[in-house]
Amino acid sequence: MRSLLRGGIVSAFVLTTLIAGTVLRAQENKPVKIKASAIKVEMIQSDEIKLPAEFQVALYEDLIQQLQKKGGLHVYREGDRNAADAADLVVLHSTVRGFKEGSEKMREVTTVAGATSIAIHCVFKDREGKALLESDVKGNVRFFGGNLRATYDFAKKTAQITHDHFSPTAGA
Amino acid sequence: MGTQVRRALKAVRIRRAFLTISMAAFSPLALPILAQQPVQPVKVTQITGLMGVTKNTGGNLTVEGGNLHFNHEQTKVEVATTSMEDVVTGGDSQRLLHGTLGTLTMLAPYGSGRFLSLFRTKLDTLTVKYRDTDGGLHGAIFTMAVGKADVLKKELLAQGAHTTAPEEPSNSAAAQTPAAKEQKR
Repeated sequence: MRSLLRGGIVSAFVLTTLIAGTVLRAQENKPVKIKASAIKVEMIQSDEIKLPAEFQVALYEDLIQQLQKKGGLHVYREGDRNAADAADLVVLHSTVRGFKEGSEKMREVTTVAGATSIAIHCVFKDREGKALLESDVKGNVRFFGGNLRATYDFAKKTAQITHDHFSPTAGA
Repeated sequence: MGTQVRRALKAVRIRRAFLTISMAAFSPLALPILAQQPVQPVKVTQITGLMGVTKNTGGNLTVEGGNLHFNHEQTKVEVATTSMEDVVTGGDSQRLLHGTLGTLTMLAPYGSGRFLSLFRTKLDTLTVKYRDTDGGLHGAIFTMAVGKADVLKKELLAQGAHTTAPEEPSNSAAAQTPAAKEQKR
């Protein structure tokens, strides 16, 4: 009876230690957030890769919408004069590195073929133009939805990256 | 007899000259009147980008008085054509059965949903980049019936909008054929 009780206590202790260790490790892996109160989104550039105008605009609009949805930072559009007065402003530059326009018809008929994918290199810079963070983000649409859904996928991922690395309170 | 013929010919010439001069004199007035004729509203779906309008909203688009008007029930949005930095047309396609009914047919048995996906309608897309009053850049995308986007683009350009893809004369006629639209993509 006593050995059973001792075994139980030891198991509970080991389990608690393991859980605590995992939580601590997760906290250690969490990136230290950079202080920023506002973000200015520049129009997506695609000088090397020919990107249809509707994709370029959808990427930009979806990105702004997702950043606004995440909250935390005030979002400015390219050219917005009000951004000049914003403190701790981060400027997001995005360049298209790869684009494969699939086919919605092909996706719906075959399920496995016709995926649309966009690869974009994102650089977060400060007001002086110093790069604070760089990241490659992919947007895909594999099964359902129109080709423009790939832009939503990209926007969601980029908004998450922004949320994970930037905060109005530094180191939060 | 000869004198009468000469007189008649002279009268005809004078009338012709008068007509030509009067047409030339009034043509600067006539052209703007023709240009300002209101364009018929075009049924469109606003995919994204118009301020205060939710995604995938259907409505009517008109170009009038130096503005692009989007009307959907009580929602009315105006964008000044002079604030437009780029107007580009393109092509796309959608399922013949789309919306909620289209989604439901995807679940139809024995692959019939997939079969229905083969039936599609072609669409024109109109992409507009414009600036708001603070200088912020916006982008709006509209889809509409084939052949309508080029007409709207021409109207926008005539009223002060800019484009990075100026239309080629042979392109507009060719764009009407489905094959040409496919190549455009």
